[in-house]
Amino acid sequence: MKLFKSLGLFVSACLTCGIATAADHHVKWHDDGKVDLVMEDGTTISTTREELGSLFGPDQKPFDGVSISVTVNSGGPKGGISGPLYSFRPIWEELTGGKLEIVELPFGEHYTKMMLDLRNGTGQYDAFMVGAFWYGDIVPNGYAFPIDDFMTTGEYPQWTYDSMPQSLKTLHTWEGVGYGVLNDGDGQVLYYRRDALANPEWRAQFKKEYGYSMPVPPKTWQQMLDISNFFNGKNWDSNDPDPDSGTVLHLKVGEQGHYHFQSLSASFAITPGPELDQYHNVYWFDPTNMKPLINSPGHVAALEFLQELHKTGPSAQVGWSLGEAWDYFLRGKSVFVFSWGDVGSLCQDTSRSKIQGVCASSILPSSDTYYDHETKKFVKTTNPVKVGNTTGGSWHGVISNYSANPEATYSLLSLMAIKPASIWLAQNGWTGVDPGFTYQFLEPQGEAGLGDYLDAGWSEADVKDYLKAYYETFFADTFLPYLRIPGSFEYWDILDKNLSATMSGEISAKQALDNTAKTWEQITDRLGRDQQLGYYQSAIGYK
Amino acid sequence: MRTHRNTKARFVFLLPAAIWVLTFTIFPLVYSLYISVHKVETKMNVSREKVPMLDESGNPVLDAKGNPRTKIQINREKISTWTNIGLTNFKRLVEDPQVHSAIKVTSIFVLVAVPSQLVLGILLALLFNQRLWARSFLRAVMLLPIFATPLAVGYLFFTIFYEEGGPLGFLGVPFLSNPDWALFSVILVDIWQWTPFCFLVFLAALQGIPNELMEAAKMESKSKWGLFANIIFPMLTPTIVIVLLLRLAEAIKLFDIPFALTGGGPGVATQSMSFLAFRTGLRYFDLGYASAMSYCLLIIVMIIVTLFFRKLRQSYA
Repeated sequence: MKLFKSLGLFVSACLTCGIATAADHHVKWHDDGKVDLVMEDGTTISTTREELGSLFGPDQKPFDGVSISVTVNSGGPKGGISGPLYSFRPIWEELTGGKLEIVELPFGEHYTKMMLDLRNGTGQYDAFMVGAFWYGDIVPNGYAFPIDDFMTTGEYPQWTYDSMPQSLKTLHTWEGVGYGVLNDGDGQVLYYRRDALANPEWRAQFKKEYGYSMPVPPKTWQQMLDISNFFNGKNWDSNDPDPDSGTVLHLKVGEQGHYHFQSLSASFAITPGPELDQYHNVYWFDPTNMKPLINSPGHVAALEFLQELHKTGPSAQVGWSLGEAWDYFLRGKSVFVFSWGDVGSLCQDTSRSKIQGVCASSILPSSDTYYDHETKKFVKTTNPVKVGNTTGGSWHGVISNYSANPEATYSLLSLMAIKPASIWLAQNGWTGVDPGFTYQFLEPQGEAGLGDYLDAGWSEADVKDYLKAYYETFFADTFLPYLRIPGSFEYWDILDKNLSATMSGEISAKQALDNTAKTWEQITDRLGRDQQLGYYQSAIGYK
Repeated sequence: MRTHRNTKARFVFLLPAAIWVLTFTIFPLVYSLYISVHKVETKMNVSREKVPMLDESGNPVLDAKGNPRTKIQINREKISTWTNIGLTNFKRLVEDPQVHSAIKVTSIFVLVAVPSQLVLGILLALLFNQRLWARSFLRAVMLLPIFATPLAVGYLFFTIFYEEGGPLGFLGVPFLSNPDWALFSVILVDIWQWTPFCFLVFLAALQGIPNELMEAAKMESKSKWGLFANIIFPMLTPTIVIVLLLRLAEAIKLFDIPFALTGGGPGVATQSMSFLAFRTGLRYFDLGYASAMSYCLLIIVMIIVTLFFRKLRQSYA
């Protein structure tokens, strides 16, 4: 009996030591000032004490006993945006002595749960990994915590807004005050199959059918539609014996289908010009009176075009979310998909992708015809301007004003924003974090070296295209303005429903956008036209 | 004296029920009516101040350099503005195309799903009321769908109806991508889940018909149809009315299955009234309008229930 007791004590002691040793291994402090942050799977991110901030040190637990909770779109420990929280949790807990609770919420429920928490003053959550389009509902109402003071103290992990292009910086701030902590840079680019478009036989056949050489990548949406039509129904991919598609889209209502329309329609509906005024570089509303522009002839033409493009993909995509559409492209079933940065890095994940090395990217094509809001006429151009976008959520952390521990919460979010962490996040597709910051782009545009990406398993051809596409997208001269006003979620949801009805053939493009405009007018009136106009002008920089 | 004590005791016994009804039925009902005639706006005034950080014993916490650490204290003042807007939200209901569409979807759903469940339920009950091989086992299996959560059922059928590679993909039917098929899919799932409930109740009612009566009727009746039409159906009528009433009240509140299966789409093809009210209240935070929608739904359900109770009373009389 005594022997068993001793054995039991020995085993418990060993287990305790084992756990303690494992727990202590997430942060390694070196004498030369370097610090290794080690994740559960052994991945190491190297940083320095200086970069980590003065609050942290080998013998310091600045938030010992503090518990914080952060909400995020559900995806699990290896899911987009949620995954990094799981990866950094043990590191942060060891650095601070605090406890992190990750609250995963389905995409469709996240906004609702957040707003209920804030409106009711429950204060259940310390921070939210928000989409930038939620700012209009949280910042003016006093729910978000400004972080500028934290950034300058030197106590917390060091990062800066200066590493962002202006287009992304705008999304993290409100009237010049910083609220969002750098994490993800969203924008849509075009992905295409390099091998299919370069195949001499297909190229010759295309030229014969369409009368011009297949451009790689397509410069205009119209060219892309031709190519998409050409490949649709042919078995151009050898991964299976079945016919393949042209373009795959994610169009499920209540998900993220309306983003396709936003990105695509920008070059149809925006009248380019040197400055933003009543007619030029505007997309959503007339900046003088908040009258919707969403049913302008340019927008209608774009939606009719999207309907045509939809015909070159599987009809089931009307009910598809991101995962299904991306998977279709990754399995080699479509020539094109235009979507977020996740696709580019998921192409490199051979457990999901059959197209590593042939997954090319470019900035989105432009329309060869755009609508001039001043002359009220369509303009045909031989040299369409490239239109950049920050379409999506650029999902990042915002601290709640109900948080009892904003310091501890900020220390977590900023830890994930330091340069080496941010580079690592962008290099790994499963994290859902897309590139957008200067140190993630290759030299000479940015600071990253090709070797870093090759070491992370990227194909050289793919990564060069990918980062160039994103650089051009975020630094374009003409830009799709981002809607960040109170009620953005509702405006977009109404648009989403009407777009879905069009894509499923229920109503025409014109009818859908007219319905949208009519409902938008009601929303604007309900929320207060003058207030909305003020926020809109400020959001798009109209003077 | 005894009567008085009895009255008091009666009140004591009724009190929990009264409190329950007042708290959980009357109060929300009145409160939502109040919301429906108001525009509710909430915001927060915030000020921040730096305060010294103290440990558990009340001593200042020091940083690595020995300086006292501070923390930010947020002072919050929540402001809610309630503006009386009269019947505006109810007027909006009349003009809103989304409401029209949701009423249409809900009506089609109710008119197709509920009668189908009743008919199938009766047919299955008649079948299982006979001697049948492995009857008990099959009856138990038949009842399984009732015990599943509608939300989980919605997600389950999402995988079954998946058009590219799902188990029914070979049929080439656009279960979820075509507006008409999507509504049909929602109806199909509801029928799958709730027919067993109808079957269970009808089977119990059938087994409650006295054997003597059935035997006598069999001798009198020339055909099975005659037996059903003249004896079984009239005997089942009160049960049918009750089941119909329960299923109607439930079906009008349709939410979970389209929520999980189609997200209300494509477009608004499967967006029911409850779904629209949920979206309006908890996604757009237009609480007044959502309350008005819920009241509209409540009134419709109450009219139906009243009519059926009247019918039920008449049939009993």
